[in-house]
Amino acid sequence: MSSRRALSLTAKIDLILVIALAVGIGAALGALATSLISAYNRKTQQGVFENANILFTAIESVMLPGQAPLAVTTLANVSIRTPGTFISLYRRDGTLAFSDNKTIETVNANLKAQQFVPQDRPLSAPATPPKRFQEAAATPPSELFFRDDSGGRAFFHAYRPLINLPKCTVCHGADHTVRGVIDIRTDISDDVRTTNLTLAGTATGFVVVVGLLALVIGSFLRNVVLNPVQSIGKLCMDVTAGRFEGRVNLRSGDEIGDLARTVNSMVEGLRERFELTKYVSAGTIGSLRAGQEPQRVKRVLFFTDVRGFTSYTERHDADQVVVVLNRILDEQSRIIHERGGDIDKFVGDEVFAFFTGADGVRRACEASLAIVRLCASRAGEFDGLSVGIGITEGMVIHGMVGSARRADFTMIGDPVNTASRLCSLAKSGQILVSTEMRNAAVPDFIFAGPYSAKLKGKTDPQKVWFLRGQTGRGA
Amino acid sequence: MSSNFPCQRSLGALGAVALALFVASLAACAGKSERIYATPDYPTWKKTTDIVLDYPIPGHMDRLRVPRMNAIGFSVVPTIVGGKLHWDFPENTVIAKEVFAEPKPAPGEGPIQLTIMVKAPKDPRSQGGWLWLTRDLPAGKEQVFTGNYCVTCHENANEGHPYFDKNKNLEFRDYVYFVPLEAMARAK
Repeated sequence: MSSRRALSLTAKIDLILVIALAVGIGAALGALATSLISAYNRKTQQGVFENANILFTAIESVMLPGQAPLAVTTLANVSIRTPGTFISLYRRDGTLAFSDNKTIETVNANLKAQQFVPQDRPLSAPATPPKRFQEAAATPPSELFFRDDSGGRAFFHAYRPLINLPKCTVCHGADHTVRGVIDIRTDISDDVRTTNLTLAGTATGFVVVVGLLALVIGSFLRNVVLNPVQSIGKLCMDVTAGRFEGRVNLRSGDEIGDLARTVNSMVEGLRERFELTKYVSAGTIGSLRAGQEPQRVKRVLFFTDVRGFTSYTERHDADQVVVVLNRILDEQSRIIHERGGDIDKFVGDEVFAFFTGADGVRRACEASLAIVRLCASRAGEFDGLSVGIGITEGMVIHGMVGSARRADFTMIGDPVNTASRLCSLAKSGQILVSTEMRNAAVPDFIFAGPYSAKLKGKTDPQKVWFLRGQTGRGA
Repeated sequence: MSSNFPCQRSLGALGAVALALFVASLAACAGKSERIYATPDYPTWKKTTDIVLDYPIPGHMDRLRVPRMNAIGFSVVPTIVGGKLHWDFPENTVIAKEVFAEPKPAPGEGPIQLTIMVKAPKDPRSQGGWLWLTRDLPAGKEQVFTGNYCVTCHENANEGHPYFDKNKNLEFRDYVYFVPLEAMARAK
């Protein structure tokens, strides 16, 4: 068996809510953010690319024979006037153009004249060839446009090879195809930062929105559905434990409110039925479950009656009479129930109970002795009242007796009458039993007798016995 | 099994037409992609120049080049624009330039490269009105060169350059360095 604790309904709904919101909103937001950022990046890239094209065309137009200083100035001016854009011209061997007099010397050699004067001070500082330079300077050359993130900044590089055109070969020679590569480098760090900030903002917004929605919807569901359902569940558990006082306090007019009202009504009905069971014997209740067909069964019939009660009622207030009587009946009822007996009915100050089962005789005897002892020990509480008890055992008819409107599930038969007559005959504190009862109870119980007694409704005198005590416990 | 319902027959016919169009378009596409401009008889085309092109030039270095042009190209007639000759080769002119491995190849030695110019100004892939192609010699397939490497270099033909007559008159030569002498003679 798994010992893993199952998630509560609240936790499950919260979990489903968060997942649904995260997936739903996340997908939509993700798609939107991706689309926007993609469009932004595309636009940035396109802008940089077009800018590079324009710059390249402009630079190419100033790359005139003998105008190297003009080209250098142009490159420098563009870099100065276009913040974030850097233009570099590399020779095909990767060295920075104008960083030495190599080109001038080559041109002069090709022209076989000192056409151009070597510079004392190079126009550019030496630099190492940038990334992927060789791809651009290969034959055939390639135009490249790529992003390079290095040194904590992001750049777009546009490489434009300078072809050694036939018209250029006069000065530069015809032994090579590519003269160099122009690198137009654009700093896009700010754009990247903007994109990252947008992404971070979107993600934060997403988390906040999902969290808030989960809280709001979760709170709403808890108040509207979960708490009422939990209240109903708690009420049901109380009812199962025999507590009928609680009610679901819900005033909403929706389906949950209807359910709560229905459950309240149901519990009220159950409470009423539960209260009614106090006035109905367990046998009656059992018959409702098992069916109400009359049966001939063996029972131990048990009658008690308060002696001197009539004169007591004449001498005391009604309230006091009822209090004392209820006290005596309640204690008897408790003792009988504790020993597995069942109260069939109360008739005034009389108790009609019965015991069933193989040890019903023993339990009935024990109950009668306990009742007599109790009355003796608590005589003060009972205003000195005590009971006489009559017990017998025999076959009776157990079934529904009465009219269609009002009926009792009770017992009829000669043993019932006999037990009742024995009770009538018994004096205060006496337990009178039939011979059948006595024979069934010995040797566990001590009896005195037999005595001959005239019982009402019986032609011949009957043998009766006094129950004195239990074997081993004394009389 | 034949259909008894006219609408079903119509739908069937429509489906057949659609399928036929689809197949035809596939065939057209396939045919276009495999088109050969320098037809197998190109070695019989006339050379655009009798000059032996074995001197070094950017792009081909000192490898021997032999440019040939189809008859359409030889029919070119220049116009006068701005007082200068303006050469505009007819559409479907094809110039096939054989490039050999050495300046002086051995007899019977074949070219190592075949570059092709096709006058096709309406083709969206054209640059300067020409398609610039290279042939994969072992496979015999021609591929359009998508970069601007070829056109950039040939652009110089439309201005002064060091080859042939050096284009001293700065004529628009339609990206062709060696305009056939017979065509130039006709223009005089």
